[in-house]
Amino acid sequence: MPKHDTPMIDELESGPWPSFVTDLKRQAEKSPQCWDILGKMELSFRDRITHWKHGGIVGVFGYGGGIVGRYSDVPEQYPGVAHFHTVRLNQPSSKFYTTEKLRQVCDLWEKRGSGMTNMHGSTGDLVLLGTTTDQLEPLFWDLTHDLNWDLGGSGSNLRTPSCCLGKARCEYSCIDTQALCHHLTMHYQDEIHRPAFPYKFKFKFSGCPNDCVAAIARSDFAVLGTWKDDIRIDQSAVKGYVNGDFASNAGAHAGRDWGKFDIEKEVIDLCPTHCMRMKGEELQIDNSNCTRCMHCINVMPRALRPGLEQGATICVGAKAPILDGAQFATMTIPFLKVDPENDFEEVIEVIEKIWDWWMEVGKNRERVGETIMRVGLPTFLKVMEVDIVPQHVKEPRSNPYVFWGEDEVEGGWDRSVVEFRKRHAQ
Amino acid sequence: MALSKEELKAAILEKATNAPKPQLYVKDFYACDPDSKPRAVKNAANELVKEGKMAFWSSGSTTMYAAKGRAKDEEK
Repeated sequence: MPKHDTPMIDELESGPWPSFVTDLKRQAEKSPQCWDILGKMELSFRDRITHWKHGGIVGVFGYGGGIVGRYSDVPEQYPGVAHFHTVRLNQPSSKFYTTEKLRQVCDLWEKRGSGMTNMHGSTGDLVLLGTTTDQLEPLFWDLTHDLNWDLGGSGSNLRTPSCCLGKARCEYSCIDTQALCHHLTMHYQDEIHRPAFPYKFKFKFSGCPNDCVAAIARSDFAVLGTWKDDIRIDQSAVKGYVNGDFASNAGAHAGRDWGKFDIEKEVIDLCPTHCMRMKGEELQIDNSNCTRCMHCINVMPRALRPGLEQGATICVGAKAPILDGAQFATMTIPFLKVDPENDFEEVIEVIEKIWDWWMEVGKNRERVGETIMRVGLPTFLKVMEVDIVPQHVKEPRSNPYVFWGEDEVEGGWDRSVVEFRKRHAQ
Repeated sequence: MALSKEELKAAILEKATNAPKPQLYVKDFYACDPDSKPRAVKNAANELVKEGKMAFWSSGSTTMYAAKGRAKDEEK
């Protein structure tokens, strides 16, 4: 039976999607504190202000992350949620679980907490929502000893690394994202479990430029699989697509009749750098101008595949809009070897170079992307010992924010513009 | 020359105990020894937490340090 009158919260159940309110009510039959969540949320809706206090000192011994303290400012009114701490669990790479493991963690959470979970949080962790301070150490003991499971990162720690499905299920993947994610998770246990930085730092790994974990938009350090040589072309399969033998986009849009496949309209004209053309029945690609947008490969996966010389592009500095607006990561290293045979030492070298600089130069609560914006990309690239290339731009073909020094320009600032214009038309 | 680990820990604890602000960011401790690398300062501060002489305070998105008893305890 509902404990509180919640007309505004109930309204949310009338929408077209499954509602978390319905889930909460169902869970409340087992965990009565969930009625208090609904009641307190109704109060917040009415007062137009949160009734959660900000942060706290809770945690488990030896760790400085993984538990986020949450306290109510109306504990007498809603005693079931006076404390309602969140626990972040380090999800397995690519989020492959056995049902047995999921049942175990759900049983444990019903014993030690509210039973409510968030599958998954924004960073990728499996999030357990709501428990009291006295349950934290017993929960941590059960979790680590019985389930062989660890906490994830929070606060000014390295956050739980996250990756796409990678080579486990995806033919596009140019790097083994799961191996890289798991290796770095183990390598940086200290940074995940204890604060280390001026602010949070996130790794995300995508196997190809499709970037299914949105690493370029969400992580301070985005590793995106790519290739250096030419896109592999099977000309007979290209003909197959043109003749309608194969469904484009691997049949993803087959639910409706879009008409006959038109390679000019659906592939070549949409190439952002116009680096493709049909010569007779043959598809030709000027690979030197390919920006790895993946569109042609996504549309005709039987005919086109990433090249064989594979590695990763490193982009640095994405963040959500807390302080200074949302920011995409900036391409920093165009191509990096990603080699499990040497324990990914090239990737680790880049990470630690960024950290050493950011720990020193970054301000309190400043993400690495904000530090780069503040000091300028050229300064950051010098620190990274990266040669500047035309791709180091804010947006392709506009707004370059790499500026040349006088010593880097032929003739310096005093060169004759008249002479220059004789060779370069305006 | 950088302070030894024990000297650095003593300097950090002294700052955490006497600073006007009860809760400090890890970067606030860098000034305890400008010759120590940020990583060494962070490790020393984290060790003090492990020894129970300091505590972490976290909002969930950022973490601060405080000498024992100085952190804002929402349970009290």
